[in-house]
Amino acid sequence: MEREIKKQNRLAAGLLLLGLVLALVVMSLPMYSFQAVVYTKKSSNTTVGDEKYQEALAQAQEVLEEYTSQGFQVELSEDVLERTNSKGETTSLVTFTISETQTKNLFSFLGQPFASAHVLRIMLACMILAALCMLAGLAKTSGTLPKYLPKRAKMLRSASGWFSLIALLTVPVFAMMNTYTFSRRIYLYSNDLMQEGKDVLYPQIDRFLFGGSAGDNIDSVLGKLSFDCSWMLWLLMILFFLMLLGAIQIRFGTVKSTLLRGLLYFFIIIVCIVTLYPYYVMLITALRSNAETLDMYFLHIFPSEWKFQNLIDIINRGVPRYLLNSLMVAGGATILAMLCGIPAAYAMARMNFAGKKLFLGFIIMSQMFSPVVLLIGLSQLMTTMHLNDSVLGLMLINAAFNQAFAIWLLRGTFVSISPEMEQAAMIDGCSTMGSMTRVLLPMAAPGIVTALIFVFINAWNEYTISTVLISTSSNRPITVGITQFSSFNMIEWEYLFAASLIATIPVVILFICIEKHLTSGLTSGGVKG
Amino acid sequence: MKKLIALLLAVVMVFALGSMTFAADDEIELDVIIAQYGPNTNEWFLGSGMDGTNFVDKFEAENPGIKLNLEVVSWNDLYTVVDTRITNNNAPDILNIDVFANYANDGLLMPVSDYCPEELYADFFPAFIEQSIIDDTVWAVPDLASARAMFYNVDILEEVGVEVPTTWAELEDVSQAIIDFYDGEIYPWGIDMTTDEGQAAFAYYTWGNGGGFVDVDGNWAVNSPENVEGINFALSLISNGYTNPNPATETRYDLQDMFAAGKMAMLIAPNQLPTYVADKGGEINMATAGIPANEGKTGSSVGVMDRIMAFKDDAAPDQAARNEAIGKFLTFFYAPENYVGWVSMEGFLPAVNSAVEALVASDPSFGAWLDVLATCQFYPAAKAEWDQVKQGVIKAEQSALTGADIQAELDALQAELGG
Amino acid sequence: MYTSFNRSKWTPYLWLLPSIALIAIFVIYPIILVFKLSFSEISKSGVVGKFNGFQNYIDAVNLPAFKTVMLNTLIWVIAVVGLSTVIGFIIAMVLNQKFHGRKIARSILVLPWATSLVIQASVWNYIIKYEYGNLNDILLNLGVIKQAVNWRSSFQIEFIWECGVGIFVTIPFVTFCVLAGLQSVDDSLYEAAIMDGAGFWSKLKNVTLPMVRPSLTVSTVLNIIYVFNSFPIIYTMTKGAPANKTDTMITFLYMLSFYDRKKGPATALSVIGFLILCICAGIYMFGVMRKEEK
Repeated sequence: MEREIKKQNRLAAGLLLLGLVLALVVMSLPMYSFQAVVYTKKSSNTTVGDEKYQEALAQAQEVLEEYTSQGFQVELSEDVLERTNSKGETTSLVTFTISETQTKNLFSFLGQPFASAHVLRIMLACMILAALCMLAGLAKTSGTLPKYLPKRAKMLRSASGWFSLIALLTVPVFAMMNTYTFSRRIYLYSNDLMQEGKDVLYPQIDRFLFGGSAGDNIDSVLGKLSFDCSWMLWLLMILFFLMLLGAIQIRFGTVKSTLLRGLLYFFIIIVCIVTLYPYYVMLITALRSNAETLDMYFLHIFPSEWKFQNLIDIINRGVPRYLLNSLMVAGGATILAMLCGIPAAYAMARMNFAGKKLFLGFIIMSQMFSPVVLLIGLSQLMTTMHLNDSVLGLMLINAAFNQAFAIWLLRGTFVSISPEMEQAAMIDGCSTMGSMTRVLLPMAAPGIVTALIFVFINAWNEYTISTVLISTSSNRPITVGITQFSSFNMIEWEYLFAASLIATIPVVILFICIEKHLTSGLTSGGVKG
Repeated sequence: MKKLIALLLAVVMVFALGSMTFAADDEIELDVIIAQYGPNTNEWFLGSGMDGTNFVDKFEAENPGIKLNLEVVSWNDLYTVVDTRITNNNAPDILNIDVFANYANDGLLMPVSDYCPEELYADFFPAFIEQSIIDDTVWAVPDLASARAMFYNVDILEEVGVEVPTTWAELEDVSQAIIDFYDGEIYPWGIDMTTDEGQAAFAYYTWGNGGGFVDVDGNWAVNSPENVEGINFALSLISNGYTNPNPATETRYDLQDMFAAGKMAMLIAPNQLPTYVADKGGEINMATAGIPANEGKTGSSVGVMDRIMAFKDDAAPDQAARNEAIGKFLTFFYAPENYVGWVSMEGFLPAVNSAVEALVASDPSFGAWLDVLATCQFYPAAKAEWDQVKQGVIKAEQSALTGADIQAELDALQAELGG
Repeated sequence: MYTSFNRSKWTPYLWLLPSIALIAIFVIYPIILVFKLSFSEISKSGVVGKFNGFQNYIDAVNLPAFKTVMLNTLIWVIAVVGLSTVIGFIIAMVLNQKFHGRKIARSILVLPWATSLVIQASVWNYIIKYEYGNLNDILLNLGVIKQAVNWRSSFQIEFIWECGVGIFVTIPFVTFCVLAGLQSVDDSLYEAAIMDGAGFWSKLKNVTLPMVRPSLTVSTVLNIIYVFNSFPIIYTMTKGAPANKTDTMITFLYMLSFYDRKKGPATALSVIGFLILCICAGIYMFGVMRKEEK
């Protein structure tokens, strides 16, 4: 047994060290290739050999000499784009480019002051620390069963795992940082979209790529910098994963369940991020200026100036009124749906009568039509009832369209509660109504709350019917009210999302408060069915 | 519990009663639907955008005995709202919209002569009035207009070293030059073939090739060889990469945003573009030119016009009084002290002579645009099938974008139109 | 069984009356109207004319876009319902485990349910804009991509995005239905299964699935109805462009009615859609009732 464990430990340690060594090898391979176009001269309407061409060529050669004398290893290339235009004239665009290509391995980043280099140092430190911790942990307790490890050895082995994990995660971060530094920031600087940090970054890149020889030409040199990253960078991730496996094996002995656990957290975090993402977008866009919502250069992840004024603006443009309308529609519809739905569900659950299945079919059928389809019919109905363009009309319609769901959910809840208590109450002299309100309803509270929320949410979010039925601005619910911000002439994204945010918050709070009851309500309710 | 329910019911009833309105007997009520042209429309008619007051209040104060039930509806929902109300015999009294032929052909509209005061009628630009005639009867009056022309970014064209294109061939040359010069980072040209306004693209490229929606006799001719050639030219611009990348979903506001950000060199846009760009904080050195046409053809500017029309209401107790009330509404609407503010607020062009002087005085560039407007071609909105044609050409363009043959698509549309 | 509750023969109907009245007036009456309209001539501006038999139906089926739209609807329903059920099920399984932050995760995952479809669709529409969308914004500034990506370069991709948003908003409902089902599973069943040496898959197949089947069936059927009838996502994101290639039946008939002004075929189409749903639900009800009788 002990030998077995020793063997396993050796295997794991071997895995870890192999990963380490291979990673170091990979890091020394040429990984990034930079192509710096140090000079471009575009001369339009030029033909090869003419005066304009000679002039441009002379300029280019002058520049070439200058760079060569500074110690650049540059090449001059000439590109002629000839087009015969519609009138049969040949025009050409002559482009002279002087460029230098450089390849770099990861170690050449090490001494640099870039942000990505910091990440690289962390990566290196982590892999070495992982190896050291592992060796120390093994030396401390060679041969004992993992379960009875001394505390310190356990800690060291855990640390080894964490360090490998961090090293693993730094690889994509490193790649992203490089893209950010050598592509994104240079794009912004060279298009005069950003200034801050330019005087620091440019000399740094100059030293890194050209040994500081670019000098005053740095702006034009970096204007067209491009780079490629080899796929071998991702090999590092695999190697770090091997190290992680080794560490897990030594620490826990059970690689599978530990990985599964890690996977579980990973999954949850990803799902949560994706779910929250649109809300994040809503929030930050709601607080931007209009120009920034349409920023085509993607300057700021966060608003450059948090415009809380947007929230005040939309309040002045009728949003509180819309919210009140929505509250009235959703609240009224919920109450009405419950008042009609509870007796119906009660009858379905507690009484026997002919046509029970027919009624079930009837309510399910009432769900089959999309409100969009029924617009014309509903609108006519509202006109005959003199409820056109009124909040009350919306209330009634929403209540009706949510009957099916409410009854189905409530019936399930009622069925799951034993009728004995009610029978006892009735023997004590309660009416049917009394036994229901005093005994059944309190017991069915979770199911009722769930049904309540469902109806409320559906009515709160309803859009299509309100669009057509409500035309007076002051009667609009919020879902229709916000469309004024995406009108014919322009979409005011910041106002649209500010209003959306305000429309979403109450429901979200409601949902979070009720979330616990939601499942229990569903459990006791419909799902048993 | 019972008390609670009773209370809730009472609350519901109060809301219900509160939402009903009762009119006094001797008042005339006019249901008015106004299209929402921009963020200010609502404020102007119902808020406090008219020097502290609003259109409805001012009108009712000046015209006692007339009550306005005025609604401002966004263009997104306008057709849905109006059509639904018509189906339910609940048409508005006065409607502001772009189309009118369907309503007139269904016998829903009143002739303009029934209600429009003569003095006001004489004030409209005759060329505009002509656009609303079916069977020698005028069914609607123009409410405002806008004219389209080509705008270009002067700095970009100068840097690339090209002249402003006037023909299609030149447009291609210039586009290619811009692509070459900027490595494709700037879109030379903008095309909008969206469901919102794809018919405008159809007009630009067919009118610029001597074609159009109708032939010289005024019959539908959507599949004429000129049209097919014109649309194929537009499609070739797209497939050559001279335009914005997603013409089927990028509306003209998306294009205007690109232009305002300096990412687009040329586009066809309405006269409000400079205001729009300024509102977006863009600083573009721009100028206008005629819309490029095919070699040997003359391009024509494109005019877009919206209308105001009045619906019949056989149930009204006193038709004469109702007509008079509608007339008063129009007189009030077009009175220079009201109308000039309305037109200039959204940057449109006027439809009546009396407003011209004041507008030119406030902004000299209006004069040039009015000249453009005089030579504009308009959509054949007076023809009954116009809706169908409008949607049909948009669908044909969009199908062609996904690889279908434009000739076959337009042939099918023409066959559907019965010829 | 509970005869003591029944005062008279009519009592149950009295209890049902408010509900029936509500549904009859506000749902069934408009349905009947739509049926009636589908057999009438309707002018372009919406004036209802005389009876014209099945002409509207013939016109509807002969519309050039009819096949595309039907196929889209099928893909839309199957993709959205199918994938959201699978993903929702997986998420529910994960949420049913014990882990740190489970409560927070559950609160977060319920959010898309609580947000109006119009709002969700608008936000996603903004996110995937090529020229200024937030997705490009974030990815560029984080250095994940070097150049802005055109996320909606063809109509197929746009339709995939629309399905994605549909799935995104449907998942929470499935998740919570399944979660409710999972909570009713007795732990002793699992213990018994483990005693029998059951692995993960066999536990899933023999214990979990049978226990959550009722809630899965219910959520699936409701989702089929909701997703089939879903309107705001497609209407907000593409309006069916280009040329109805991203339309489903509901958005198609809306565009047909109010943009193309072919109101007759549009009402006929809505009746066709209703019948399709009725058949699906009928099959489901038949299946469920047969099971109950067993």
